[in-house]
Amino acid sequence: MSITIDWLAFVQVFVAALIASVLVVGFYSLGLRLLVRAGRVPVVSPAEFTDAITVITPKESQRAAKAAAKAAKKSPLTAGQRKVAAFGAYVSFGMCALAVLGGLLLIIFNR
Amino acid sequence: METATLIVVLVIVLALFFDFTNGFHDTANAMATPIATGALKPKVAVLLAAVLNLFGAFLSTEVSQTISHGIIREDQIDSDAFLPLIFAGLIGAITWNMFTWLLGLPSSSSHALFGGLIGATIVGAGWMAIDYSVVLSKVILPAVLAPLTAGLIAFTATRLAYAITRRYDTKPDGRDGFRWGQIFTSSLVALAHGTNDAQKTMGVITLTLIIAGWQSSTQTEPQLWVILACGITIALGTYMGGWRIIRTLGKGLTDVKPAQGFSAESSTASTILASSALGFALSTTQVASGSVIGSGLGRRGSKVRWRTAGRIMLGWLFTLPAAGAVGGVMALMVAWLGGVGILIDAVFAVVVILTIFGLSRRNAVTAANAMSEVAESGNAIRVKRNPPPTRRQRAAMRAEARREKEDSK
Repeated sequence: MSITIDWLAFVQVFVAALIASVLVVGFYSLGLRLLVRAGRVPVVSPAEFTDAITVITPKESQRAAKAAAKAAKKSPLTAGQRKVAAFGAYVSFGMCALAVLGGLLLIIFNR
Repeated sequence: METATLIVVLVIVLALFFDFTNGFHDTANAMATPIATGALKPKVAVLLAAVLNLFGAFLSTEVSQTISHGIIREDQIDSDAFLPLIFAGLIGAITWNMFTWLLGLPSSSSHALFGGLIGATIVGAGWMAIDYSVVLSKVILPAVLAPLTAGLIAFTATRLAYAITRRYDTKPDGRDGFRWGQIFTSSLVALAHGTNDAQKTMGVITLTLIIAGWQSSTQTEPQLWVILACGITIALGTYMGGWRIIRTLGKGLTDVKPAQGFSAESSTASTILASSALGFALSTTQVASGSVIGSGLGRRGSKVRWRTAGRIMLGWLFTLPAAGAVGGVMALMVAWLGGVGILIDAVFAVVVILTIFGLSRRNAVTAANAMSEVAESGNAIRVKRNPPPTRRQRAAMRAEARREKEDSK
Protein backbone atom coordinates (compact mmCIF):
# COMPACT_ATOMS: atom_id res chain seq x y z
CA MET A 1 0.00 0.00 0.00
CA SER A 2 1.57 3.24 -1.07
CA ILE A 3 0.69 6.55 0.45
CA THR A 4 -0.10 9.29 -2.00
CA ILE A 5 -0.60 12.85 -0.91
CA ASP A 6 -2.11 15.55 -3.03
CA TRP A 7 0.19 18.42 -2.12
CA LEU A 8 -1.34 20.61 -4.78
CA ALA A 9 -4.60 20.65 -2.80
CA PHE A 10 -2.84 22.34 0.12
CA VAL A 11 -1.38 24.97 -2.18
CA GLN A 12 -4.87 25.46 -3.61
CA VAL A 13 -6.38 26.02 -0.18
CA PHE A 14 -3.63 28.45 0.79
CA VAL A 15 -3.86 30.49 -2.40
CA ALA A 16 -7.68 30.55 -2.44
CA ALA A 17 -7.92 31.54 1.23
CA LEU A 18 -5.18 34.16 0.86
CA ILE A 19 -6.83 35.74 -2.16
CA ALA A 20 -10.24 35.74 -0.47
CA SER A 21 -8.93 37.29 2.76
CA VAL A 22 -6.83 39.91 1.01
CA LEU A 23 -9.78 40.91 -1.19
CA VAL A 24 -12.22 41.11 1.72
CA VAL A 25 -9.88 42.88 4.14
CA GLY A 26 -8.35 45.09 1.46
CA PHE A 27 -11.63 46.32 0.04
CA TYR A 28 -13.18 46.82 3.45
CA SER A 29 -10.18 48.82 4.70
CA LEU A 30 -10.12 50.84 1.50
CA GLY A 31 -13.82 51.55 1.98
CA LEU A 32 -13.22 52.78 5.53
CA ARG A 33 -10.32 54.93 4.36
CA LEU A 34 -12.42 56.53 1.64
CA LEU A 35 -15.29 57.03 4.09
CA VAL A 36 -12.90 58.95 6.33
CA ARG A 37 -11.70 60.95 3.33
CA ALA A 38 -15.31 61.75 2.55
CA GLY A 39 -15.65 63.27 6.00
CA ARG A 40 -17.93 60.56 7.35
CA VAL A 41 -15.77 59.08 10.07
CA PRO A 42 -17.51 56.02 11.51
CA VAL A 43 -17.78 56.15 15.28
CA VAL A 44 -19.10 52.79 16.45
CA SER A 45 -19.23 52.40 20.18
CA PRO A 46 -19.13 48.87 21.52
CA ALA A 47 -22.48 47.23 22.15
CA GLU A 48 -23.71 46.76 25.72
CA PHE A 49 -22.13 44.05 27.93
CA THR A 50 -18.42 43.38 28.14
CA ASP A 51 -16.57 44.15 31.26
CA ALA A 52 -13.51 42.78 29.53
CA ILE A 53 -12.83 45.61 27.15
CA THR A 54 -12.76 49.33 27.81
CA VAL A 55 -16.39 50.27 27.81
CA ILE A 56 -17.18 53.64 26.29
CA THR A 57 -19.88 55.71 27.97
CA PRO A 58 -22.45 57.48 25.78
CA LYS A 59 -20.80 60.76 26.70
CA GLU A 60 -17.41 59.60 25.50
CA SER A 61 -18.98 58.24 22.36
CA GLN A 62 -20.59 61.61 21.64
CA ARG A 63 -17.29 63.35 22.25
CA ALA A 64 -15.59 61.03 19.77
CA ALA A 65 -18.29 61.71 17.19
CA LYS A 66 -17.87 65.46 17.68
CA ALA A 67 -14.10 65.21 17.29
CA ALA A 68 -14.58 63.21 14.13
CA ALA A 69 -16.98 65.81 12.72
CA LYS A 70 -14.54 68.60 13.56
CA ALA A 71 -11.70 66.81 11.86
CA ALA A 72 -13.89 66.22 8.84
CA LYS A 73 -14.67 69.91 8.56
CA LYS A 74 -10.99 70.70 8.06
CA SER A 75 -10.86 68.30 5.13
CA PRO A 76 -8.97 69.81 2.21
CA LEU A 77 -11.37 68.20 -0.26
CA THR A 78 -14.14 70.06 -2.07
CA ALA A 79 -17.73 68.94 -1.73
CA GLY A 80 -17.57 67.21 -5.11
CA GLN A 81 -14.38 65.34 -4.26
CA ARG A 82 -15.94 64.22 -1.03
CA LYS A 83 -18.91 62.82 -2.89
CA VAL A 84 -16.57 60.87 -5.13
CA ALA A 85 -14.76 59.51 -2.07
CA ALA A 86 -18.04 58.46 -0.43
CA PHE A 87 -19.11 56.78 -3.66
CA GLY A 88 -15.77 55.00 -3.83
CA ALA A 89 -16.23 53.83 -0.25
CA TYR A 90 -19.59 52.25 -0.98
CA VAL A 91 -18.21 50.65 -4.14
CA SER A 92 -15.41 49.14 -2.02
CA PHE A 93 -17.87 47.74 0.51
CA GLY A 94 -19.87 46.34 -2.38
CA MET A 95 -16.76 44.69 -3.86
CA CYS A 96 -16.05 43.15 -0.48
CA ALA A 97 -19.55 41.63 -0.36
CA LEU A 98 -19.20 40.43 -3.95
CA ALA A 99 -15.92 38.69 -3.10
CA VAL A 100 -17.65 36.76 -0.31
CA LEU A 101 -20.65 35.91 -2.47
CA GLY A 102 -18.38 34.73 -5.29
CA GLY A 103 -16.44 32.51 -2.90
CA LEU A 104 -19.60 30.92 -1.51
CA LEU A 105 -21.01 30.29 -4.99
CA LEU A 106 -17.71 28.64 -5.97
CA ILE A 107 -18.10 26.24 -3.04
CA ILE A 108 -21.76 25.48 -3.66
CA PHE A 109 -21.35 24.77 -7.37
CA ASN A 110 -18.07 22.94 -6.93
CA ARG A 111 -19.86 19.70 -6.05
CA MET B 1 -31.19 -8.21 12.84
CA GLU B 2 -32.91 -6.57 15.79
CA THR B 3 -29.64 -5.95 17.61
CA ALA B 4 -28.18 -4.43 14.43
CA THR B 5 -31.09 -1.99 14.19
CA LEU B 6 -30.72 -1.15 17.85
CA ILE B 7 -27.03 -0.42 17.43
CA VAL B 8 -27.64 1.74 14.34
CA VAL B 9 -30.14 3.80 16.31
CA LEU B 10 -27.74 4.04 19.25
CA VAL B 11 -24.91 5.16 16.95
CA ILE B 12 -27.09 7.83 15.35
CA VAL B 13 -28.24 9.14 18.73
CA LEU B 14 -24.68 9.21 20.03
CA ALA B 15 -23.42 10.88 16.85
CA LEU B 16 -26.08 13.57 17.14
CA PHE B 17 -25.18 14.04 20.79
CA PHE B 18 -21.58 14.53 19.68
CA ASP B 19 -22.79 17.07 17.11
CA PHE B 20 -24.68 18.90 19.85
CA THR B 21 -21.65 19.11 22.14
CA ASN B 22 -19.60 20.29 19.18
CA GLY B 23 -21.93 23.22 18.60
CA PHE B 24 -22.21 23.76 22.35
CA HIS B 25 -18.47 23.97 22.73
CA ASP B 26 -17.65 25.96 19.61
CA THR B 27 -20.06 28.91 19.82
CA ALA B 28 -17.31 30.82 21.52
CA ASN B 29 -14.93 30.25 18.63
CA ALA B 30 -17.12 32.02 16.15
CA MET B 31 -18.48 34.65 18.46
CA ALA B 32 -15.72 35.36 20.99
CA THR B 33 -14.05 38.06 18.92
CA PRO B 34 -17.13 40.10 17.99
CA ILE B 35 -18.39 39.93 21.56
CA ALA B 36 -14.93 40.83 22.86
CA THR B 37 -14.56 43.89 20.67
CA GLY B 38 -18.16 44.83 21.31
CA ALA B 39 -19.23 44.44 17.69
CA LEU B 40 -22.31 42.42 18.57
CA LYS B 41 -24.62 42.10 21.52
CA PRO B 42 -24.14 38.61 22.93
CA LYS B 43 -27.78 37.59 22.45
CA VAL B 44 -27.77 38.58 18.80
CA ALA B 45 -24.36 36.98 18.28
CA VAL B 46 -25.48 33.60 19.59
CA LEU B 47 -28.71 33.55 17.61
CA LEU B 48 -26.87 34.54 14.43
CA ALA B 49 -24.27 31.85 14.99
CA ALA B 50 -26.95 29.19 15.43
CA VAL B 51 -28.84 30.13 12.27
CA LEU B 52 -25.68 30.31 10.17
CA ASN B 53 -24.45 26.96 11.45
CA LEU B 54 -27.66 25.47 10.12
CA PHE B 55 -27.16 27.12 6.71
CA GLY B 56 -23.52 26.07 6.65
CA ALA B 57 -24.52 22.42 6.96
CA PHE B 58 -26.11 22.62 3.52
CA LEU B 59 -23.20 24.27 1.70
CA SER B 60 -21.10 21.26 0.80
CA THR B 61 -20.77 17.52 1.47
CA GLU B 62 -17.09 16.96 0.69
CA VAL B 63 -15.99 16.57 4.31
CA SER B 64 -18.77 14.10 4.98
CA GLN B 65 -17.61 12.04 2.00
CA THR B 66 -14.05 12.01 3.32
CA ILE B 67 -15.36 10.25 6.44
CA SER B 68 -17.97 8.00 4.91
CA HIS B 69 -15.99 7.01 1.81
CA GLY B 70 -12.35 7.56 2.62
CA ILE B 71 -10.84 6.89 6.00
CA ILE B 72 -12.16 3.39 6.54
CA ARG B 73 -11.79 0.72 3.88
CA GLU B 74 -15.22 -0.78 3.89
CA ASP B 75 -14.17 -3.76 1.75
CA GLN B 76 -11.74 -4.88 4.46
CA ILE B 77 -14.28 -5.25 7.22
CA ASP B 78 -17.15 -7.39 8.29
CA SER B 79 -20.23 -5.22 8.62
CA ASP B 80 -21.88 -6.95 11.58
CA ALA B 81 -18.75 -6.66 13.64
CA PHE B 82 -18.12 -3.10 12.56
CA LEU B 83 -21.25 -1.35 13.81
CA PRO B 84 -20.34 -1.77 17.49
CA LEU B 85 -16.87 -0.42 16.63
CA ILE B 86 -18.27 2.89 15.36
CA PHE B 87 -20.22 3.00 18.57
CA ALA B 88 -17.05 2.39 20.59
CA GLY B 89 -15.20 5.06 18.62
CA LEU B 90 -17.90 7.62 19.32
CA ILE B 91 -17.77 6.86 23.02
CA GLY B 92 -14.01 7.34 22.91
CA ALA B 93 -14.43 10.73 21.25
CA ILE B 94 -17.09 11.96 23.67
CA THR B 95 -15.17 10.72 26.71
CA TRP B 96 -11.98 12.43 25.64
CA ASN B 97 -13.88 15.64 24.93
CA MET B 98 -15.42 15.61 28.37
CA PHE B 99 -12.11 14.85 30.01
CA THR B 100 -10.34 17.79 28.36
CA TRP B 101 -13.29 20.03 29.07
CA LEU B 102 -13.15 19.15 32.77
CA LEU B 103 -9.42 19.79 32.98
CA GLY B 104 -9.60 22.92 30.85
CA LEU B 105 -7.10 21.52 28.34
CA PRO B 106 -7.13 22.79 24.78
CA SER B 107 -8.50 20.07 22.54
CA SER B 108 -10.35 19.59 19.31
CA SER B 109 -13.67 17.78 19.07
CA SER B 110 -12.97 16.92 15.43
CA HIS B 111 -9.72 15.17 16.18
CA ALA B 112 -11.31 13.42 19.13
CA LEU B 113 -13.87 12.03 16.68
CA PHE B 114 -11.25 10.83 14.19
CA GLY B 115 -9.04 9.49 16.95
CA GLY B 116 -11.91 7.52 18.46
CA LEU B 117 -13.00 6.08 15.11
CA ILE B 118 -9.50 5.17 13.98
CA GLY B 119 -8.53 3.69 17.34
CA ALA B 120 -11.65 1.54 17.54
CA THR B 121 -11.24 0.38 13.93
CA ILE B 122 -7.59 -0.60 14.37
CA VAL B 123 -8.34 -2.56 17.54
CA GLY B 124 -11.48 -4.20 16.20
CA ALA B 125 -10.73 -4.77 12.52
CA GLY B 126 -6.96 -4.57 12.21
CA TRP B 127 -4.42 -2.16 10.77
CA MET B 128 -5.44 -2.80 7.18
CA ALA B 129 -8.95 -1.44 7.70
CA ILE B 130 -7.71 2.14 7.71
CA ASP B 131 -6.78 3.98 4.52
CA TYR B 132 -3.68 5.74 5.77
CA SER B 133 -3.14 7.94 2.74
CA VAL B 134 -6.60 9.47 3.28
CA VAL B 135 -5.96 9.86 7.01
CA LEU B 136 -2.62 11.52 6.30
CA SER B 137 -3.70 13.79 3.47
CA LYS B 138 -7.19 14.74 4.69
CA VAL B 139 -6.85 14.73 8.48
CA ILE B 140 -3.29 14.82 9.85
CA LEU B 141 -1.59 17.12 7.35
CA PRO B 142 -4.48 19.61 7.30
CA ALA B 143 -4.36 19.60 11.11
CA VAL B 144 -0.76 20.77 10.98
CA LEU B 145 -0.94 23.01 7.91
CA ALA B 146 -4.31 24.73 8.33
CA PRO B 147 -3.53 26.67 11.54
CA LEU B 148 -0.22 27.75 10.00
CA THR B 149 -1.97 28.77 6.79
CA ALA B 150 -4.63 30.66 8.71
CA GLY B 151 -2.00 32.34 10.87
CA LEU B 152 0.04 33.46 7.89
CA ILE B 153 -3.02 34.78 6.09
CA ALA B 154 -4.28 36.55 9.22
CA PHE B 155 -0.83 38.14 9.65
CA THR B 156 -0.90 39.45 6.07
CA ALA B 157 -4.49 40.63 6.34
CA THR B 158 -3.86 42.44 9.64
CA ARG B 159 -0.83 44.20 8.19
CA LEU B 160 -2.90 45.18 5.17
CA ALA B 161 -5.84 46.46 7.24
CA TYR B 162 -3.59 48.60 9.43
CA ALA B 163 -1.52 49.87 6.51
CA ILE B 164 -4.53 50.96 4.47
CA THR B 165 -6.23 52.77 7.35
CA ARG B 166 -3.09 54.28 8.92
CA ARG B 167 -2.98 58.07 9.13
CA TYR B 168 0.05 60.13 10.01
CA ASP B 169 -1.75 63.35 10.86
CA THR B 170 -3.36 62.00 14.08
CA LYS B 171 -6.83 62.61 12.65
CA PRO B 172 -9.48 59.89 13.20
CA ASP B 173 -8.61 56.86 11.09
CA GLY B 174 -12.05 55.24 10.98
CA ARG B 175 -10.84 51.91 12.39
CA ASP B 176 -13.97 51.90 14.54
CA GLY B 177 -15.74 50.92 11.34
CA PHE B 178 -14.18 47.45 11.56
CA ARG B 179 -16.74 46.78 14.29
CA TRP B 180 -19.47 46.77 11.66
CA GLY B 181 -17.32 44.55 9.50
CA GLN B 182 -16.91 42.07 12.30
CA ILE B 183 -20.63 41.36 12.38
CA PHE B 184 -20.17 40.23 8.83
CA THR B 185 -16.93 38.23 9.21
CA SER B 186 -17.98 36.49 12.42
CA SER B 187 -21.14 35.40 10.61
CA LEU B 188 -18.90 33.87 7.97
CA VAL B 189 -16.96 32.02 10.66
CA ALA B 190 -20.21 30.57 12.02
CA LEU B 191 -21.18 29.53 8.50
CA ALA B 192 -17.78 27.91 7.96
CA HIS B 193 -18.14 26.09 11.27
CA GLY B 194 -21.44 24.60 10.17
CA THR B 195 -19.94 23.63 6.83
CA ASN B 196 -17.01 21.75 8.31
CA ASP B 197 -18.20 20.45 11.68
CA ALA B 198 -21.78 19.43 10.99
CA GLN B 199 -20.46 17.37 8.09
CA LYS B 200 -18.28 15.24 10.34
CA THR B 201 -21.36 13.88 12.07
CA MET B 202 -23.08 13.46 8.72
CA GLY B 203 -20.11 11.39 7.60
CA VAL B 204 -20.29 9.12 10.64
CA ILE B 205 -24.05 8.59 10.26
CA THR B 206 -23.71 7.93 6.53
CA LEU B 207 -20.91 5.45 7.22
CA THR B 208 -23.17 3.67 9.70
CA LEU B 209 -26.09 3.56 7.26
CA ILE B 210 -23.89 2.15 4.51
CA ILE B 211 -22.42 -0.55 6.73
CA ALA B 212 -25.85 -1.50 8.03
CA GLY B 213 -26.97 -1.78 4.42
CA TRP B 214 -29.52 1.02 4.69
CA GLN B 215 -27.79 3.13 2.07
CA SER B 216 -26.02 1.99 -1.09
CA SER B 217 -22.26 2.44 -0.86
CA THR B 218 -22.22 3.96 -4.34
CA GLN B 219 -24.32 6.89 -3.12
CA THR B 220 -21.70 9.25 -1.78
CA GLU B 221 -23.91 12.14 -0.65
CA PRO B 222 -25.53 11.93 2.77
CA GLN B 223 -29.30 11.62 2.73
CA LEU B 224 -31.35 14.76 3.21
CA TRP B 225 -32.71 13.80 6.61
CA VAL B 226 -29.15 13.22 7.81
CA ILE B 227 -28.05 16.69 6.66
CA LEU B 228 -31.13 18.24 8.22
CA ALA B 229 -30.75 16.41 11.53
CA CYS B 230 -27.06 17.30 11.82
CA GLY B 231 -27.64 20.92 10.86
CA ILE B 232 -30.46 21.39 13.36
CA THR B 233 -28.57 19.62 16.15
CA ILE B 234 -25.43 21.70 15.72
CA ALA B 235 -27.53 24.88 15.56
CA LEU B 236 -29.32 23.88 18.76
CA GLY B 237 -26.03 23.12 20.45
CA THR B 238 -24.63 26.46 19.35
CA TYR B 239 -27.63 28.29 20.72
CA MET B 240 -27.64 26.50 24.06
CA GLY B 241 -23.87 26.69 24.46
CA GLY B 242 -23.94 30.39 23.84
CA TRP B 243 -25.80 31.08 27.04
CA ARG B 244 -23.19 29.30 29.07
CA ILE B 245 -20.44 31.20 27.33
CA ILE B 246 -22.09 34.56 27.77
CA ARG B 247 -22.36 33.92 31.45
CA THR B 248 -18.72 32.95 31.75
CA LEU B 249 -17.00 35.04 29.11
CA GLY B 250 -16.46 38.34 30.88
CA LYS B 251 -13.11 37.90 32.51
CA GLY B 252 -9.63 37.85 31.16
CA LEU B 253 -10.36 38.34 27.51
CA THR B 254 -7.37 39.24 25.47
CA ASP B 255 -6.89 42.59 23.89
CA VAL B 256 -8.24 42.13 20.38
CA LYS B 257 -8.74 45.32 18.37
CA PRO B 258 -11.56 45.54 15.81
CA ALA B 259 -9.22 45.73 12.80
CA GLN B 260 -7.33 42.73 14.09
CA GLY B 261 -10.48 40.73 14.83
CA PHE B 262 -11.83 41.50 11.37
CA SER B 263 -8.66 40.21 9.72
CA ALA B 264 -8.47 37.12 11.93
CA GLU B 265 -12.06 36.18 11.17
CA SER B 266 -11.69 36.72 7.43
CA SER B 267 -8.71 34.42 7.49
CA THR B 268 -10.46 31.77 9.62
CA ALA B 269 -13.57 31.76 7.47
CA SER B 270 -11.74 31.62 4.14
CA THR B 271 -9.35 28.89 5.28
CA ILE B 272 -12.12 26.67 6.65
CA LEU B 273 -14.40 27.22 3.68
CA ALA B 274 -11.66 26.54 1.12
CA SER B 275 -10.61 23.41 3.02
CA SER B 276 -14.18 22.16 3.33
CA ALA B 277 -14.65 22.50 -0.41
CA LEU B 278 -11.73 20.09 -0.90
CA GLY B 279 -12.92 17.67 1.79
CA PHE B 280 -10.29 18.41 4.45
CA ALA B 281 -11.73 17.67 7.87
CA LEU B 282 -10.26 20.42 10.00
CA SER B 283 -10.50 21.46 13.58
CA THR B 284 -12.21 24.83 13.50
CA THR B 285 -10.84 25.64 16.95
CA GLN B 286 -7.27 25.20 15.79
CA VAL B 287 -7.74 27.27 12.65
CA ALA B 288 -9.35 30.09 14.62
CA SER B 289 -6.55 29.98 17.21
CA GLY B 290 -3.95 30.11 14.45
CA SER B 291 -5.67 33.17 13.01
CA VAL B 292 -5.83 34.99 16.34
CA ILE B 293 -2.13 34.37 16.96
CA GLY B 294 -1.21 35.38 13.40
CA SER B 295 -3.24 38.57 13.55
CA GLY B 296 -1.70 39.43 16.93
CA LEU B 297 1.73 39.13 15.35
CA GLY B 298 0.55 41.42 12.56
CA ARG B 299 0.27 44.29 15.02
CA ARG B 300 3.21 46.52 15.68
CA GLY B 301 5.41 45.69 18.67
CA SER B 302 4.07 42.18 19.24
CA LYS B 303 5.92 39.15 20.53
CA VAL B 304 5.04 35.50 20.92
CA ARG B 305 4.73 34.12 24.44
CA TRP B 306 6.20 30.74 23.60
CA ARG B 307 5.15 29.10 26.85
CA THR B 308 1.44 29.76 26.22
CA ALA B 309 1.70 28.97 22.52
CA GLY B 310 3.52 25.73 23.32
CA ARG B 311 0.86 24.65 25.82
CA ILE B 312 -1.87 25.17 23.23
CA MET B 313 -0.01 23.16 20.60
CA LEU B 314 0.77 20.34 23.03
CA GLY B 315 -2.95 19.94 23.72
CA TRP B 316 -3.58 19.67 19.98
CA LEU B 317 -0.91 16.99 19.55
CA PHE B 318 -2.38 14.83 22.29
CA THR B 319 -5.99 14.79 21.13
CA LEU B 320 -5.80 12.33 18.23
CA PRO B 321 -3.79 9.55 19.93
CA ALA B 322 -5.54 10.00 23.29
CA ALA B 323 -9.05 9.75 21.84
CA GLY B 324 -7.74 6.86 19.75
CA ALA B 325 -6.64 5.06 22.91
CA VAL B 326 -10.01 5.53 24.62
CA GLY B 327 -11.81 4.41 21.44
CA GLY B 328 -9.47 1.43 21.26
CA VAL B 329 -10.24 0.35 24.84
CA MET B 330 -13.98 0.61 24.12
CA ALA B 331 -13.47 -1.52 21.02
CA LEU B 332 -11.49 -4.07 23.02
CA MET B 333 -14.52 -4.54 25.26
CA VAL B 334 -16.58 -5.39 22.21
CA ALA B 335 -13.92 -7.66 20.72
CA TRP B 336 -13.41 -9.61 23.95
CA LEU B 337 -16.85 -9.69 25.46
CA GLY B 338 -19.16 -9.42 22.43
CA GLY B 339 -22.71 -8.41 23.37
CA VAL B 340 -21.81 -7.85 27.01
CA GLY B 341 -19.05 -5.51 25.87
CA ILE B 342 -21.51 -3.44 23.88
CA LEU B 343 -23.69 -3.23 26.97
CA ILE B 344 -20.75 -2.12 29.12
CA ASP B 345 -19.87 0.52 26.49
CA ALA B 346 -23.46 1.76 26.41
CA VAL B 347 -23.61 2.06 30.19
CA PHE B 348 -20.29 3.89 30.15
CA ALA B 349 -21.63 6.30 27.51
CA VAL B 350 -24.72 7.03 29.59
CA VAL B 351 -22.56 7.72 32.65
CA VAL B 352 -20.34 10.10 30.65
CA ILE B 353 -23.31 11.94 29.16
CA LEU B 354 -25.02 12.29 32.54
CA THR B 355 -21.80 13.60 34.07
CA ILE B 356 -21.52 16.22 31.32
CA PHE B 357 -25.08 17.35 31.91
CA GLY B 358 -24.62 17.42 35.66
CA LEU B 359 -21.49 19.51 35.40
CA SER B 360 -22.85 21.90 32.80
CA ARG B 361 -25.85 22.56 35.01
CA ARG B 362 -23.63 23.48 37.87
CA ASN B 363 -22.13 26.21 35.71
CA ALA B 364 -18.98 26.64 37.71
CA VAL B 365 -16.93 29.61 36.56
CA THR B 366 -13.27 28.78 36.94
CA ALA B 367 -10.08 29.90 35.28
CA ALA B 368 -10.28 26.80 33.13
CA ASN B 369 -13.64 27.41 31.48
CA ALA B 370 -14.02 31.16 31.70
CA MET B 371 -12.62 31.73 28.24
CA SER B 372 -12.98 30.19 24.86
CA GLU B 373 -9.83 28.54 23.62
CA VAL B 374 -9.62 30.92 20.71
CA ALA B 375 -9.77 33.97 22.91
CA GLU B 376 -7.21 32.30 25.14
CA SER B 377 -4.84 31.78 22.25
CA GLY B 378 -4.67 35.55 21.99
CA ASN B 379 -2.65 35.37 25.21
CA ALA B 380 0.12 33.73 23.24
CA ILE B 381 0.91 37.14 21.79
CA ARG B 382 2.11 40.10 23.81
CA VAL B 383 1.50 43.49 22.24
CA LYS B 384 3.34 46.55 23.53
CA ARG B 385 1.14 49.36 24.78
CA ASN B 386 3.16 51.92 22.86
CA PRO B 387 4.15 50.24 19.62
CA PRO B 388 7.41 51.27 17.96
CA PRO B 389 7.14 53.83 15.13
CA THR B 390 6.52 52.70 11.58
CA ARG B 391 9.19 53.20 8.93
CA ARG B 392 7.56 56.39 7.75
CA GLN B 393 7.31 57.77 11.29
CA ARG B 394 10.99 56.95 11.86
CA ALA B 395 11.92 58.80 8.67
CA ALA B 396 9.86 61.79 9.82
CA MET B 397 11.58 61.71 13.21
CA ARG B 398 15.03 61.60 11.59
CA ALA B 399 14.12 64.55 9.35
CA GLU B 400 12.89 66.47 12.38
CA ALA B 401 16.10 65.79 14.28
CA ARG B 402 18.21 66.90 11.31
CA ARG B 403 16.24 70.11 11.02
CA GLU B 404 16.70 70.88 14.72
CA LYS B 405 20.43 70.26 14.40
CA GLU B 406 20.68 72.67 11.50
CA ASP B 407 18.62 75.28 13.33
CA SER B 408 20.88 75.16 16.36
CA LYS B 409 23.99 75.74 14.24
